[in-house]
Amino acid sequence: MSGVELIFYPFIIALLTAVFFRQNSAVSKFVALALFTYMLLFSINLFSQLPSSGYLDLGTYLSVPKFDFILTLKVDMLSTIMLTLTSVLLLLVALSSWSMKNQALYYSLLIFFSGAIFGVFMSTNLLWFFIFWELTLVPMYFLVGIWGEERRIYAAVKFFLYTHVASMFVLLAFFLIHKEAGTFDMTLVREGMLLSPVLIWWLLFVGFSVKMPLFPFHTWLPDAHVQAPAPISVLLAGVLLKMGAYAMIRMVLLLLPETSQQYAWVLLVLGLITLFYAGFMAIYETHLKKMVAYSSISHMGLVAIAMATLSYSGLSAALYEMIGHAFVIAPLFLLAGFFHHKTGSWEMKDMGGIMQKAPYISAIFVLAGLGALGLPGTMGFVGELSILLSSIKSFGLWMAVVAFGSMLGAAYIIWTLRRVIYGEMSEVVRKTNFSMNIFEFLALAIFALFIILFGVFPNLLFEYINPAFAQFTSLGGAL
Amino acid sequence: MPNLAIILLMLPMFGALFAFLSGKINKKFAFWSAEIIGLSLFLITLKLYSSYTVPIDLPMTWFSLGDFSIPFGIYIDELSLVMLLIATGLGFLDIHFAHDYMAKDPHQPRYYAKVLFFIGGMILLVSAKDMVSLFTGWEFMGLASYLLISFWHDQNAPADAGVSAFLFTRFGDIFLFASIGLLFYLTGSLDLVHLNELASNGKIEQNMMYLIAIFIFIAAIGKSGQFPLFPWLMRAMEGPTTVSALIHGATMVNSGIYIVARLFDFYVAAEALLVVAAFGAISAFIGATSALVQSELKKVLAYSTMSHLSLAFIGLGAGSLAAGMTHLVNHAVFKALLFLGAGAIIMSASHVKDMWRFGGLKTKMPLVALFMGLGALSLSGIPPFSGFYSKDAIIIATLTNPLTSGLISSLTLIAGILSIAYIARLWFLTFSGEPRDKELFLKTSKPSFFWIVLPLAIMAIATFLMGFSQESIAKLVSGNVPQEEHVSGLFIGLMSSITLLALIVYYYFVKRLDLTKKIAAQPLMRSIHKVLFNGYFIEFFIHYFAKEVVIGGFAKSINWIDTYIIDATVNATVKVAQRVKMLFAKTHTGYTSDNSGAMAFGILILLIILFIGGAM
Repeated sequence: MSGVELIFYPFIIALLTAVFFRQNSAVSKFVALALFTYMLLFSINLFSQLPSSGYLDLGTYLSVPKFDFILTLKVDMLSTIMLTLTSVLLLLVALSSWSMKNQALYYSLLIFFSGAIFGVFMSTNLLWFFIFWELTLVPMYFLVGIWGEERRIYAAVKFFLYTHVASMFVLLAFFLIHKEAGTFDMTLVREGMLLSPVLIWWLLFVGFSVKMPLFPFHTWLPDAHVQAPAPISVLLAGVLLKMGAYAMIRMVLLLLPETSQQYAWVLLVLGLITLFYAGFMAIYETHLKKMVAYSSISHMGLVAIAMATLSYSGLSAALYEMIGHAFVIAPLFLLAGFFHHKTGSWEMKDMGGIMQKAPYISAIFVLAGLGALGLPGTMGFVGELSILLSSIKSFGLWMAVVAFGSMLGAAYIIWTLRRVIYGEMSEVVRKTNFSMNIFEFLALAIFALFIILFGVFPNLLFEYINPAFAQFTSLGGAL
Repeated sequence: MPNLAIILLMLPMFGALFAFLSGKINKKFAFWSAEIIGLSLFLITLKLYSSYTVPIDLPMTWFSLGDFSIPFGIYIDELSLVMLLIATGLGFLDIHFAHDYMAKDPHQPRYYAKVLFFIGGMILLVSAKDMVSLFTGWEFMGLASYLLISFWHDQNAPADAGVSAFLFTRFGDIFLFASIGLLFYLTGSLDLVHLNELASNGKIEQNMMYLIAIFIFIAAIGKSGQFPLFPWLMRAMEGPTTVSALIHGATMVNSGIYIVARLFDFYVAAEALLVVAAFGAISAFIGATSALVQSELKKVLAYSTMSHLSLAFIGLGAGSLAAGMTHLVNHAVFKALLFLGAGAIIMSASHVKDMWRFGGLKTKMPLVALFMGLGALSLSGIPPFSGFYSKDAIIIATLTNPLTSGLISSLTLIAGILSIAYIARLWFLTFSGEPRDKELFLKTSKPSFFWIVLPLAIMAIATFLMGFSQESIAKLVSGNVPQEEHVSGLFIGLMSSITLLALIVYYYFVKRLDLTKKIAAQPLMRSIHKVLFNGYFIEFFIHYFAKEVVIGGFAKSINWIDTYIIDATVNATVKVAQRVKMLFAKTHTGYTSDNSGAMAFGILILLIILFIGGAM
């Protein structure tokens, strides 16, 4: 099994699903579940095949050698981890979209998305990488634009254009790389081959910062999240943002290590600003889903800080936090959407006392909230501790300020819990019936389980995360 | 023995889950599982204590992050064992007491699960070998107290109290978290015993050591409810009284003092003890004076906890580990006794907490009056109760240390003497005289002996007997027997006794209520009363700062910048883009979605054109 079918079959399956299962839309769910399960098994199976370091070659396809337009599929530990994370999230998103309207189209778009995202993480040819990178936007645009809230068109257009403009910077950088290094294969490019590494670094950096997102390129995200349906918010935060972070590690930090060393402070400063800026935004926010969105941005600030260390431990911490953030933020988004769906309001003041109506669902909300504020025993704590230790080691004592980001997290999460699920019941909540589809609840429960499992036994993940950057130690040592 | 220690750590966590699940089958099962688990925890601790020879030392690695390895070790020495005995012993009595206190509550499974988790957090904290496991226990307790204080979360006041408890303590915790990073950078080690050695040998830079000591102390202030982070402790009275007893006796508030004691050599080397003593003295004074004027039974006790923990901090700050820690141990027992006694009263008197509505209750519950009286005597520092010895040792320690002998020792003395006044006020208002609320008095029921009075009796006996074993406690917690003599202590004891006698005489024979009222009606006295009653308005100031400055000022301006500068720039760009799109739309179907699909396709074409151009 080579993996290329996981990129192209989804496009075909998506088309077939959309066309043939319109009448019997329940089938589309099972098609999606089956495909995503297969993707997960495929990704897990990759771990056993990976060489101890470097890439596993999965072959080349669609070769147009004259233009260096070759679909080269290579995976290493980093991309395999991303593939696994993506498959898990897709599977859980498919579960939690169980009662979505117009299912055939919805699930076919999800399947389309899965093909594109597998392409992003598997192809090492920069051109193909870019094509898949852009292709992920298309299903996202429709998913937000069709199933979204009132201002979905505004949000979808803003999201599309914003990230699209950013992609232009990336594309420009890729052409510069090809012009100077003579190849589109990122595994063959070395920084020494490049004549203008600084220019390329900045182009890529700006392009990927939008996707992560980092201050001041973050404003598309709250709008997109608010208008997107809840499961799509999970994809946005868990997969699309991670795609930006992955690209930042892969193409900026690993591809251009020396320039990155020189400009790491930019990443560090933007990361710090993002951490606190988004934290304060979240504290002031009264709109439940926007609060979660800002919390998500704030955590991506932490990821950026960890990346900026350019160290073995720092990058491992960044990757752990990326996974942790995906699992922690997903139930928050899903439940924010659920509460909105039930109460008809986004404002926290209209909620309150939901714990009395739906204790188990609220307990998952509390747990995810505690994960977001970094309580020991959850993934959030391991991520924050790792980032604190690695950034202090790299940048010195003043990085202790990272710890104070957690105070903002505590403030916005605890106040949110107080306003939404504790206290006396509001009029609306009193009248509402908070019953949930069993599949949606199952997805939430799995997220909750992951938050605790990998929070108590982080080595389950670090066993795979650490080797992903083992080559970075030798590289970092040389610098 | 190590296996037993592991069981001790794991049992409360799994026990909490078990109590919750079994309670879902039948509410009674939750209590009985908790009772049995609580008792087993105490017995395991006793076994560990009786067979103690050398510290149990289990270094473990939690996870490896790149080239770092993050520790999570267990270390149980005599100091830990004393804290464990308090946590599990008082915890067990507290669970036992809750049988009646929580009998009518529909959410008992949740209650007992949280209580076991709380005790488990304390066990982890005091058995921690390194900063990571210590912080984990520390945060577990923060979480458990949040969940328990807001146990009745269907009402707004307890829910708010939970928020207050979490955020105040979390503010301190952040400093502890930061100090983990600082210590890791400076020493590469997070092992508590090793850190003490490094500090004593001068291996850490002096200024940094001072900074870290202050950081850890801020965390201790938050957890132990000291100035200025104490308001949560008073708010926490919204929770069930059994929870208050747990927080004030067995677990939470002890942890702040424990961490300073655990890193005592570090504090000595960092020369940070004076700060500890100074903040302790301020808190002792604030707590003691505020306790004087409270009208709620539990709030008097809460302020008294603040004041007495400050005394323990002062003892540590004056350089006497033995004095500070013995006081902590003594305080834990008599404060748990007083809180559970208060719980017995509140439960019997239909959940009224206002002392002005009680009076004459000693005829209704003579045994509770007796045992609370014994607890009050111990708290006042009347010999031969345990409270006397440690309070006395603290005052001697402050007097013998030249740094603390002036202002700090006077404040300590004032707080010590005032404690007699407020606890006597509490006892007399509640138990003696005529019932002020006749209706309530008639309704008041008699507490059951086995579930309510027996735990009080056990603790009252303990606080009395501990008075005779102070030296062995001091040896356990500090490793050596203190050399101080109790000569000057007789002076304290005498003064305390005279004050108490004077108060009794005033209450029983003079009874000049008209005079008291006249003094209280003075404008000056009334404003003093207002300041004291509100805990010097510190909560008000902190809330004002958080609400108006941090949220209303800072967060709001950031929000403004985001909307009117950063996002406005983006939107302007988008508007231009949309206009272009509109032109495009006229030539096409008019559906936005179609246009973007076309755009995506356009990119591909653009890409190919660019690429061919690049290749040539």
